[in-house]
Amino acid sequence: MKAIHYINQFFGQIGGEEKADQTPIFHDGLIGCSMMLNGMVKPEIEVTNTIVCGDNYITNHTEEALKEIFAFLDTKEFGMFFAGPAFMAGRYGVGCGIVCKAVSERYHVPVITSMNEENPGVEEYKSVAYIFKGGRKATFMKADITPMAAFAKKIAKGETLLPAAQEGYFPRGIRAEIPCDTMAADRVIDMLLKKINGEPFQTELIIPAMEKIPPAAPVVDLSKATIALVSSSGVVPVDNPDRIQSASAQKWGKYDISKLDHLPEGVFKTIHAGFDPAAMCAVPDRGVPLDAMRYFEKQGKIGKLYDYFYVTVGTGTTQAFAAKFGREIAKELHDAHVDAVILTST
Amino acid sequence: MKLEIGAFHVKDIKFGDKTFYEAGVLTLNKEELLKVVKEDEHITTADFKIVHPGDNVILCPVKEAVEMRCKVSGGHGIFPGVLSEMEVAGSGRTHCLQDCALIVVGEHAGGFQDGVIAMGGKYQHHTIFGDMVNLVLVADTDEDFERHEQQKKNHALRWAGMRLAEYIGQCVKDLEPENIEVYDLPAINQRGPEVDKLPRVVYVLQPQSQMETMGYNTLIYGWDANHILPTFMHPNELLDGCMVSGSFMPTSSKISTYEFATNPMIKRLYAQHGKTINFLGVIMSTLNVKMDEKVRCVKMAGQIATSLGVDAAVVAEEGYGNPDVDYTAMLVELEKLGIKTIGLSDECTGRDGASQPLVSMNPATNALVTTGNVSQMYEFPAGMEVIGELEALARDGNSGGWEGCIRPDGSFVMENNGMFCANHISGYSMRTCADF
Repeated sequence: MKAIHYINQFFGQIGGEEKADQTPIFHDGLIGCSMMLNGMVKPEIEVTNTIVCGDNYITNHTEEALKEIFAFLDTKEFGMFFAGPAFMAGRYGVGCGIVCKAVSERYHVPVITSMNEENPGVEEYKSVAYIFKGGRKATFMKADITPMAAFAKKIAKGETLLPAAQEGYFPRGIRAEIPCDTMAADRVIDMLLKKINGEPFQTELIIPAMEKIPPAAPVVDLSKATIALVSSSGVVPVDNPDRIQSASAQKWGKYDISKLDHLPEGVFKTIHAGFDPAAMCAVPDRGVPLDAMRYFEKQGKIGKLYDYFYVTVGTGTTQAFAAKFGREIAKELHDAHVDAVILTST
Repeated sequence: MKLEIGAFHVKDIKFGDKTFYEAGVLTLNKEELLKVVKEDEHITTADFKIVHPGDNVILCPVKEAVEMRCKVSGGHGIFPGVLSEMEVAGSGRTHCLQDCALIVVGEHAGGFQDGVIAMGGKYQHHTIFGDMVNLVLVADTDEDFERHEQQKKNHALRWAGMRLAEYIGQCVKDLEPENIEVYDLPAINQRGPEVDKLPRVVYVLQPQSQMETMGYNTLIYGWDANHILPTFMHPNELLDGCMVSGSFMPTSSKISTYEFATNPMIKRLYAQHGKTINFLGVIMSTLNVKMDEKVRCVKMAGQIATSLGVDAAVVAEEGYGNPDVDYTAMLVELEKLGIKTIGLSDECTGRDGASQPLVSMNPATNALVTTGNVSQMYEFPAGMEVIGELEALARDGNSGGWEGCIRPDGSFVMENNGMFCANHISGYSMRTCADF
C-alpha cells in the first residue's frame, strides 16, 4: 500500500514563521520526518511523497491550498494519508486537520495524524481523522510517529482495530460493541464495591459533562421585538450554496428572507438526512416557519422578523460543533440587535 | 425467606421411550411432550429438535427461553399466578435442569419482538443459549388475529413453553440434586449486627412494561407490569419464577424468562451479602411511555429506597430508546437521594456508531455497565441450517431485520436488535462498548 505525507513549512525545511505563507510544494520523494515515518511503516506501506505547505496558507487560503493539493493527489495512487505530527503547534494542527478531512472525504482513505491534547486541532478534527495523542514539542517526533506507524500497519494488514484508548488516538465520537472477558454482573459488582468504598472506578459509558447555559431574560414587549428564525432542519436554497453536510454538519448557513412571505417549494428544500424529506421539501416552511412568522408580524404580534434565517443540520452533529455554531450565530444576532430567536428542530 | 435450588447439570438431551433424567442426560419422550403442547388447541403443528453448542444451526424466530424446573416444596408451581395458584414464590425447594434451556421457535411467523440464536459460528457466544444444549419446540398456531401484525403476543407458544418447562422439570422432582444452591435472606431487621454494619444495597429492576395494550408486557405473578407501581420484593421471588418475559420490543434488550429466574445479577449480589454488602432486596419498578408515569415511578422507587436506608443501588433497564428516560431518571433520582448507583443496560449508537448512546443522559450517572449495542451489524455466512424460518427475519418486521437482509445465497446481515435477548441485561453479557 502507498501513502502520502503532509507536513508544514518548518518540518518541510523551508523555514519558520516567516515562511508560513508558503504555497504547497510537492516532493517527488521524501524529506524530513517523512523518512522516519517511511522507515517505520515498511514493508507493508511505502510513503511515496511529501507535501509541504505553510501553516498560514493552509488555514487562511484553505480553498486554494486544497485545490492545489487535490490537483497533485488526483495523479497519485495511495491508500493512506498521513499528516504531522503537529505537537502543540496550533495552526499546524488545524492545517493537518483541514487536509486530513478533505483527503478523507475526497479519496475515502484512512487519514492519520498526531497532536498534543492541547492542540486546538484535536477538538475540531478528532471526529474526522485518527488523531494520535502526541507530545508537546518536536523532541517527541519519534515517540509520536511510532504509534501512527504501528496503527497504519494494522490497517494495511487488515488486522482488527482496537478501541481508541488502546490504539492511542482521540475517540472519534464513534462507539461500537467489543467482547469483554468479564461477565456484566461481575463488572457491576466490581464497580459497585469501588464506588461504595470511594475507590476510583471506570464507567463503561462516559456521559459528557454538559455546559449549563443560563437562560436569557424574557422578552419584555413582543410587539417591539425583532425575532430571528434559527433551525437545525436543514432547510436551504435548493442548490445548497454553502454545501452544508446532510449529516454530521460542520457548518451553518444564513439566507435572506427579507423579500419572502413563505419558502416556496423548488426554491428551498431540506438536505437533512435524518428523516424522510418529502413532506418538508414540499412545504419548507414546516422546517423554517416563515409563513407563520410573517402572519404574526402582520398581526403586530411581533415587532419584526429578522431578515435572515440561520440553519444547519442536526442529525449526527457533534456537541462541539453545535456549540461552536451556537456561539457564532448568537454573536451575529446579538450584533444585529435581534431580541429573541425561535429555534426549530426536527 | 429461604430457597433451595436443587441443581441437575444437563450435559446432553436425547429423545427416547420415556422421559427421565440420569447421569447428566435428559431423555425425552416426544409424544408425551407433544401432548402437553397440544393441550392448547390454538397450536396447530409442533415438533421438537435438540441443538448443541457448536452446531452449525440458527434458530429463528425465537420467542422465548425457559429453564425446565419443578417445585418440590414450598409451593405448587414454577410460575405462580400464571400456571398455578397465586402464592409467593421463593421458599422451599425447586429442582432445576441447569446448563440447558427450552427454547420456543415459531415454525413460520415471526415479529418485531422475536429473535435469532446462533448455535455455532462467529455469533455462537453472543447469547448464553449458544453455549448450552437446548430442547427446541418449533410450532405454529392459529392465532390469525396477529399473524400479520408486527407486534405479536405469542401467547399460545409462550404458554406452551411454560407448560413444557414444568412438565419436563417433574422428572427430577424425586431425585437427589447434584448440588444445592441456598438463597437465604432473612427479614431486614433480623440479619444480625455484623450484617447491619455493611452498606445496604438494592437491585432496582425496570422490566419492560411500556405496552398499553395488555398481553405483551413482562408479567409479575401473572400481573401485567404496566399496572404496577414500584414494589419492594424479595430476590428469591425472582429466582423462583415470579416473572415471565414479555413479548414486546426489540429482543436483544429483552430479558428472557430463563434469565429472570436464573438472574446472575441477583446471584452476584447474594454472593457479596454478609461479606461486603447487606443485600436488602429488589425494588421492582417499571418502564412507562408517559412522562408523568415515568416521574411517578422514579419518585416512588426513590422513596422506598430512602425508607429502607439504602446506601447503593444497581439499576437494570430491560430496554433502550424511550425507556432510557426512565433509566437515567431513576439513576439521577437515587443519586440525588444520596444513594450510590450503578447502571446496567445496553446502548444504541446508530448504524454509524455516532449517535448519542442513550436517549437521555445525565453526568450524575457516572457508573454505567454496558451490555451491548443494539445497532451493531452482524454478518452471517450462507449454509447454516435453520430451525424455524429464516425469512421471518426479513419479512415479519423483526427489529433487527429488514426486507432484503437475506441474500439469495442464504447469507444475511442483521442488527444486534434482532438477536434473542443477546445483550443479556440480566447480567450474563460478555460484551461492552468502547469509543473508536
